[in-house]
Amino acid sequence: MSGEVAALVHNARWEVTRLRRSRRIWLLLIPIVAGPLGSGIADLYLRVPSSGTAEVLGLLITAGLAALVVLDLTALAVGEDLALRTHYLTFALPQPRVSALAGRLGIVVGGTLAVYGVGALGVAWLANVLVSTSSTAPAPILVPAHLALGVLGLLIFLGGVTAAAGIVARSAAQALVAGILAGVVAAGIGSMFLIEGRLTALFPEALAAVGLVGFAWCLVQYGRIEV
Amino acid sequence: MSPDVLTVDAVWKRYGDHDALRDVRFSLRSGEAVGYLGPNGAGKTTTLKLLAGLSRPTRGAVRVQGVDPCRDRARALRRVGALVETPGVPPYLTGADLLEYVAGVKGVPAAERRVAARRGAEAMNVAEHLGRPFGSLSTGLARRMLLGAALVGDPEVLLLDEPTLGLDPAARHDLRDVLRTLSRGGLTLLLSTHLIEDVQEVCGRVLFLRNGVLVGDEPVNLDPDSRTGGPRRAVRLRFGSDVPAESVTRAVGPEFGVTYDGPRQATVRFSGGDAEQAALLAGVIRAGLPLVSASTPEPDLARRYLERVGREDAP
Repeated sequence: MSGEVAALVHNARWEVTRLRRSRRIWLLLIPIVAGPLGSGIADLYLRVPSSGTAEVLGLLITAGLAALVVLDLTALAVGEDLALRTHYLTFALPQPRVSALAGRLGIVVGGTLAVYGVGALGVAWLANVLVSTSSTAPAPILVPAHLALGVLGLLIFLGGVTAAAGIVARSAAQALVAGILAGVVAAGIGSMFLIEGRLTALFPEALAAVGLVGFAWCLVQYGRIEV
Repeated sequence: MSPDVLTVDAVWKRYGDHDALRDVRFSLRSGEAVGYLGPNGAGKTTTLKLLAGLSRPTRGAVRVQGVDPCRDRARALRRVGALVETPGVPPYLTGADLLEYVAGVKGVPAAERRVAARRGAEAMNVAEHLGRPFGSLSTGLARRMLLGAALVGDPEVLLLDEPTLGLDPAARHDLRDVLRTLSRGGLTLLLSTHLIEDVQEVCGRVLFLRNGVLVGDEPVNLDPDSRTGGPRRAVRLRFGSDVPAESVTRAVGPEFGVTYDGPRQATVRFSGGDAEQAALLAGVIRAGLPLVSASTPEPDLARRYLERVGREDAP
């Protein structure tokens, strides 16, 4: 195993240990359980006109929960050690810093995307089981499959912005605030495009691109941090 | 001749408009234990940060086992244990979590990590606390756990920054014992400290740093006789009237090293304890020398520290 891969693997395991010890690992259950559950309750008690609309509703609930999870876990993965000065210890270990952080981010961001995916599948299944589409039902405001994929772009965006903010602020709390603000701005712009009928796949793609740039910048800067 | 394990070559480090280090040059050969003494802000921690790959020099070069630690961290730091300043550890992590992680990163095979972590903790006498979260450890225990982490993976080089800070006297004593033992086993040690006793008891060579400039690089013990024996004790004798040269030497015998500090004062150095000191004083009195007092002189290293570094922030 090369040094980079070994560092990636060690730090991915390290992140799992940290999630377990801090009990933050339970946050990863929220999009899987609370997303479909909330969506199912809405399906049963609201007059949802079609399974497509039920899916859109459920996906928005699940996406909101997954967004909170990715914000929290990413902010802590980047900012906690910098705030506590744990990096005085980890930077002096024989491992490339970029691979070390990439391993940790891989777990929190990859984990959140994965649990969002599971939650989205649960939402779709429940919507089709619980809601019957009437012949007069209007079409949903968004194509559910497009929304499901678009949310991935939003989650990557939030993760990337939060990770970059963690490097700048060297604090998990401030990174979290920056991520929430970015999410509010993204939701506002998305809503505006939706109302104006200009919302296309370009928007989530642009969000994902910004998020990836944020992650890349974060990793490069992490490798350059001087203490 | 042993190769240089640590090299600091004409290093400058600038923070803003302040030069923290100015043209610092020294090297450590394999197996050397070197103390790094200087007042607050002299640049000791900055030097250790450079050697541990936490920071880059503004000018000059540092090498650890022949490799720049910022360029090839994995190769340079593979057999290095370092504790620079006081890192914080998330309160929910246990000592075992941290030490096993360090063992993994240092290349200890998965099956041996638990044992390696335990060995590191045992060296610092904290093995029974391995399962406790850092948040529940006292400052001293947490510090010892961090020192244990630096010892994981049997390092060949140890970089320690104020390692006895926050330790109780017993733990300080234990740490010095551990460092002496490791040093005798061939470990290369750079010990940055405020405390002269740390250097006196552990190191064979000392570097003095003042305002970012290296102002001294010399053996800890300048008494050539002491290189072979165990710890040396010194007694300063004061006389009521002038005593002839060599009279003290004749009175105490050749096994005692006598330095005449003036016609009424001499310092006697010897290997041994209270019994030898009693024999020394009895010899002086039997010889009829006009002894009026016997005292322990200011430690030689402390005197040299003051000469090289000055009174500011003297330890």
